[in-house]
Amino acid sequence: MKLDHTQPLEYSTDQNQLNILGFWIFLGAEIMLFATLFTAYFTLEGRTGSGPTPADIFEITPVLIETFVLLTSSFTIGLGVHAMRLGRKNAMLTFFGITLLLGLGFLGVEIYEFTHYYHVGATYQTSAFTAALLTTLGTHGAHVTLGLFWGLFIILQVKKRGLTPENANKSFIFSLYWHFLDVVWIFIFSFIYLKGMMM
Amino acid sequence: MKELFPAKQVMGFVFSLILTAVALLVYFTDLSFGVGMTILLVTAFIQAFLQLVVFMHAGESKDGKSIYTTIFYGVIIALITVFGTLLILLWDM
Repeated sequence: MKLDHTQPLEYSTDQNQLNILGFWIFLGAEIMLFATLFTAYFTLEGRTGSGPTPADIFEITPVLIETFVLLTSSFTIGLGVHAMRLGRKNAMLTFFGITLLLGLGFLGVEIYEFTHYYHVGATYQTSAFTAALLTTLGTHGAHVTLGLFWGLFIILQVKKRGLTPENANKSFIFSLYWHFLDVVWIFIFSFIYLKGMMM
Repeated sequence: MKELFPAKQVMGFVFSLILTAVALLVYFTDLSFGVGMTILLVTAFIQAFLQLVVFMHAGESKDGKSIYTTIFYGVIIALITVFGTLLILLWDM
């Protein structure tokens, strides 16, 4: 294995560089996944039938908490990668741990939100609007859930084997995934919640 | 301790918070739909770009060009899908 010491550890081998490029290409496909969900949502948001409208069911407080928590977690994982580049393993693990806790908090609020929708009579089968809404939010939430497990396994590997080129590479790729989920959330926050509450 | 909080990322986070606060004007003030949507489009895309550059280090490796090409291609196809559909199914053009 040829190590290039002019690069951060996560880029230090050819394989590592290819892994990172490959993950960006995967993120390109993820952009399309969410684009089709947004397309369906925008097309169907007016089709509420006899069910509630967006303005009827959206609540600002949980949305604000989710947004703030996810934004902060995106910041802390950025700090985690920075600490990793300094070779500060413990600081990195702390930042990754905080990130996952914030992710868990986000998920908790989202679960509350889904039960709230259920109680006000907005279920998956209520209308085209609620179906598109819950599919879009649910797909994002499923990504966060997967990320929690992925992140946990990354932490365990770094703890056990230290900051090797492989582990640094995996950690960096996980950080890309996490930032991407925050980007998707920015669009959900702006064009589903704020747009819905504006009307 | 200080070296763990690089200025670039702290500034990026503060700027994200400001952009979120600006987007919230749409909810807390009485703006027209057109003005509101314009604000949201601007703040959302700036914030997405900020994440890409500051936190995801998109341009820093030798693959930076390929990475930006992939992402911008994805975004362009996404915009065509979203707005193309709206144009036909919702705006009747």
